[in-house]
Amino acid sequence: MFGRGLLKGLQVTWKEFWTPKFTVQYPEEKHPVPARFHGRFVLDADKCIACNLCANACPNRVINIVTAKVGTKKYLTNYVMNIQYCLFCGLCVEACNKDAIHFSDDFGMTQYFYKNIPLVLVDRVAPEAPPEDAESKAPADATDKAAKKTAAAKAKGTEG
Amino acid sequence: MLKTQTFSLNFGPQHPATHGVFQILLTLDGETIVKAEPICGYLHRGIEKLAEARTYTQVIPYTDRLDYLAAMLMNMGYVQAVEKLAQIEVPERAEYLRVITGELSRLTSHVLTTGVYALDIGGITGFFLCFREREKMMDLLEEISGSRMTVSYMRIGGVADDAPEGWLDKVDKFMDEMPGYIDEYDALITGNEIFQARTKHVGVLTQEQAISYSLSGPVLRSTGVNYDLRKAHPYSIYDRFDFEVPLGERGDCFDRYRCRVLEMRQSLRIIKQAIEQIKEIDGPIMAKVPKMFKPPKGEVYHEIESSKGILGYSVVSDGSNKPYRVHVRRPSFINLGYIDEMCRGWKVADVVAILGSIDIVLGEVDC
Repeated sequence: MFGRGLLKGLQVTWKEFWTPKFTVQYPEEKHPVPARFHGRFVLDADKCIACNLCANACPNRVINIVTAKVGTKKYLTNYVMNIQYCLFCGLCVEACNKDAIHFSDDFGMTQYFYKNIPLVLVDRVAPEAPPEDAESKAPADATDKAAKKTAAAKAKGTEG
Repeated sequence: MLKTQTFSLNFGPQHPATHGVFQILLTLDGETIVKAEPICGYLHRGIEKLAEARTYTQVIPYTDRLDYLAAMLMNMGYVQAVEKLAQIEVPERAEYLRVITGELSRLTSHVLTTGVYALDIGGITGFFLCFREREKMMDLLEEISGSRMTVSYMRIGGVADDAPEGWLDKVDKFMDEMPGYIDEYDALITGNEIFQARTKHVGVLTQEQAISYSLSGPVLRSTGVNYDLRKAHPYSIYDRFDFEVPLGERGDCFDRYRCRVLEMRQSLRIIKQAIEQIKEIDGPIMAKVPKMFKPPKGEVYHEIESSKGILGYSVVSDGSNKPYRVHVRRPSFINLGYIDEMCRGWKVADVVAILGSIDIVLGEVDC
């Protein structure tokens, strides 16, 4: 019958008219995002050992890490992500052994100027000398080791 | 009789009905098409070449960008090809998660195609209606993978993460609701008189033509050829599920559309069964794959049934940690090969209907 299709279509429209609406008043209101959401990167600089695993895992070479040598250890001075080339694949997060880098739920990363796009996660100056607690710990460790060595030698001597 | 002259008309590359940056150079006699020359390459990014400079794992995010509407299936084809090359056995739970997320991805792709096809024909309500469910399915994908479209969820040897708590029940619940939504599409789009008048007996394809042009997916099955890789050569764990392969009769635009809608119902069946079976399986989601992954020297070709047709990956390894060569058999690109003969004799408005029924994604066409 002519016009049946029209009536069928209008039936759906009528039903849809009375269903609850999905519209969210962004930016006042925001959708909740799941725990695994791939948003802005966050780096826990204290956990990071500047091993470069994340930089090597990245397909697009997005991560730039600069380190300085403090005493015998590597010290992270600069951690910059060229986020404009990022695929948000999460391979860097997966590669991190220390769980230092992870995603946050922040997705507002727009910038007005191009130069502001790179995400500077760490930008600091390396201390000239290793921190004091590390220094005080080192000799203690050394004396411990020496004591253990002599004890072992003694044990060996008595056995022999 | 009045003497007429043929003329050329550029259809695209910035036409909304071409579904991306795709151009067809139409030669017209009046409004009748004499020749349709497809011109692609506007979205060429050289993904196959880029893969040669990346490690095997690093290629995965690039495969997402091929068919971004069913990214999970693109991941699946690639990782399975590499696993075949390195002979890695994937844990069962990972296989189930792959099937569930892959079929969800197929659903998102088919739902979008259904809506966009309705829009092509002139029904914008169908477009909005389909996006409603697509959003829900993408929320589910986002919950498990962290991303909505370019998911990068699969890994060589398994999947990136296990399903979050309650996720499987959520999917199961949605799969119970989904048949009702598909009924709505049938009521609004499939049953629409204008839609049927615009698509029935338009762009007809015979079985012989479809096979000789090596078309695949719903485009092939709409002609009545029963060839679905999930049934014909079961890969992954598809042999454990009970489902049917929907077939068309005439091979016209309407049948191609109808095949997709029917395929959605079959995907629902697969997901329901997979969820039921995965609950009894507990175990790892990753096989033991070394961090510095180096497959042995050799060559492999692996194909899966993606939402558009047969997706094949040919990977050549020289024994290093990077692939020597990757080639992708993209179903959208190959299905497009017959467009010229399909369009001949039809009017300009029918080109929109024919092109929409093939369901191309330009990311995949240009690669």
